[in-house]
Amino acid sequence: MSADSDSLVDRLLSRVVDSGHGESAIERQHAELKRAKLLQRLSQLALLGVIAMLFVGSLVMVGFWREEWIQYWPEFVDALTQYFPPKVYFDLIPFVDLGRYYQFMTEAGLVGEAGITLAIALAGTIMGAPLALLFGILGNERVTPFPVNFIFRGVMSIIRSIPSLVWALIYVPLGGISPVTATLAIGTDTIGELGRLLTDELEEIDDGPIEGISSTGADKSQVIAFGMITQIVRPFIAWAMFILENNVRSAVGLGIIGAGGLGVTLSIEQQTFQFTNMMATILFIVLLVLSVEMISQRTRSYLREGDDEERLSLCQLIVGFPERMSDSLLK
Amino acid sequence: MALRIDNLTKVYGKTTALSEVSFEIPDGNFAVVLGESGAGKSTLLRILNGLTEPTSGRVYLDGEEITNSRSDVGMVFQQHNLVEELSAYSNALTGTLNRTGFIRSLINRQPIEDRELALEALETVGLLDESGQKVSSMSGGQQQRVGIARALVQQPDLLLADEPVASLDPSSAETVMEYLRETADTRNLTTLASLHQVNIAREFGEQFIGLKRGNVIFNGHREELTAEVLDEIYGEIETDELREETESTALDDSIQRSDTSIGTEV
Repeated sequence: MSADSDSLVDRLLSRVVDSGHGESAIERQHAELKRAKLLQRLSQLALLGVIAMLFVGSLVMVGFWREEWIQYWPEFVDALTQYFPPKVYFDLIPFVDLGRYYQFMTEAGLVGEAGITLAIALAGTIMGAPLALLFGILGNERVTPFPVNFIFRGVMSIIRSIPSLVWALIYVPLGGISPVTATLAIGTDTIGELGRLLTDELEEIDDGPIEGISSTGADKSQVIAFGMITQIVRPFIAWAMFILENNVRSAVGLGIIGAGGLGVTLSIEQQTFQFTNMMATILFIVLLVLSVEMISQRTRSYLREGDDEERLSLCQLIVGFPERMSDSLLK
Repeated sequence: MALRIDNLTKVYGKTTALSEVSFEIPDGNFAVVLGESGAGKSTLLRILNGLTEPTSGRVYLDGEEITNSRSDVGMVFQQHNLVEELSAYSNALTGTLNRTGFIRSLINRQPIEDRELALEALETVGLLDESGQKVSSMSGGQQQRVGIARALVQQPDLLLADEPVASLDPSSAETVMEYLRETADTRNLTTLASLHQVNIAREFGEQFIGLKRGNVIFNGHREELTAEVLDEIYGEIETDELREETESTALDDSIQRSDTSIGTEV
């Protein structure tokens, strides 16, 4: 097989490149470059072939090719019109019937449900963050000697390898299918995720303050508190905000298995085929997640020093856009 | 207190950073260690502060061998080594860590005498009004003065300064050195500073110790620090490098100046 492909390559090569004898150095070099280029192309083709094979193989495994496509298609189109109920405004403009979304949002009390989802995420994050800080610091080589620090890193890795959904399943005997369980699950997940980020952050801190504090005769715990932790306070808050963003999404997911909040509403409406209501809930989730993201991003950019562009308010960003655009064009 | 160094040797693998270094600094003297980079200046100071363990040799302060050197020896670093997130006052207060318990230091409950000491030290370096300011927002010269204040709050028997002005512009360097010298004089504090700018060393030092490849090759007063001695300490190559260094600083200055002129136009 390999011999065959080798000879194929040779034949191809000899056709493309006249393996010239007795020609000038430039021509030889040219031929050599062509050869290298051809080999590169062939290996790229081979790589593409492998990816295509993996793709097709995976699709076969998930049973992607089936006749039900045709059977289900009208159903999906029907569902789509329920997801986005059409309405003609002012007898003129056809658009989605926003009134029906709004009606469900008030009827089902989605604001309250969103409050529960947010509370799960917040409580879980605040519960997990101090432990993440503790594990992150204990996992650092400067604080804990080499083999021991890997115990803490290992614990964080194990926590991380289990999705929060599975943590919730583990905690069900303790808290039942309730927001309590979801909070515990998210708290646990935060230890792994945030702890890992802090470990990386601690690897990059400056030695100067550590040495400075050591030089005053401070003991080890004081050196850690004043020389190391002071340096990661900002990154810690920034990463905690980032994890909070993720945790809001996780809290929605946990709701779907019944742990409370918007996720529960979502799964109930889906199971009772109330597709318009389901889409209203989804839109509300988008609204919630985007708001949390916006707050988190503003906080993070505020924490990032010397990044003036990011500190502009939304109004300034919009009003000042044409000017900054022309500025950057003319520079 | 008088400092006596006795046959101090430090070996890193195959390189000898310090080889049987011995000298004395009389009580209250302001001594300067001179030497090219790699001569062993930093190693010497770090050993005196206990940040590095010597291979052999002894250090005596006032006739007594020092053991718990970090608390008794204040140190000022080239890169200041302050906690940038904290205020000048809090940084000065870290000088009391060696006599404050962990919890007490964490919740900022130092005894009133220590707090007064911190403010007093900041006043000494002319930063009393800036004591609430975050260190990261201060200039390099101001930061270095906070560094001096921190060392003073330790109430040390010996003050060390490792290249205290090497990363400062000339006028800040002058100011910092003035504060350092004045403080040492008023408190009669034995001081050992390593400096590579010969003119600054000459201006502020009382006693000069020349190090070359880990050996003391000169120990004397200002009058004895002649051009020949300097040539011997730095060698000819080093003087060339120094000249290049000054040229590149001049270039940097001119670039900076052109930058600011563009800034004013806009």
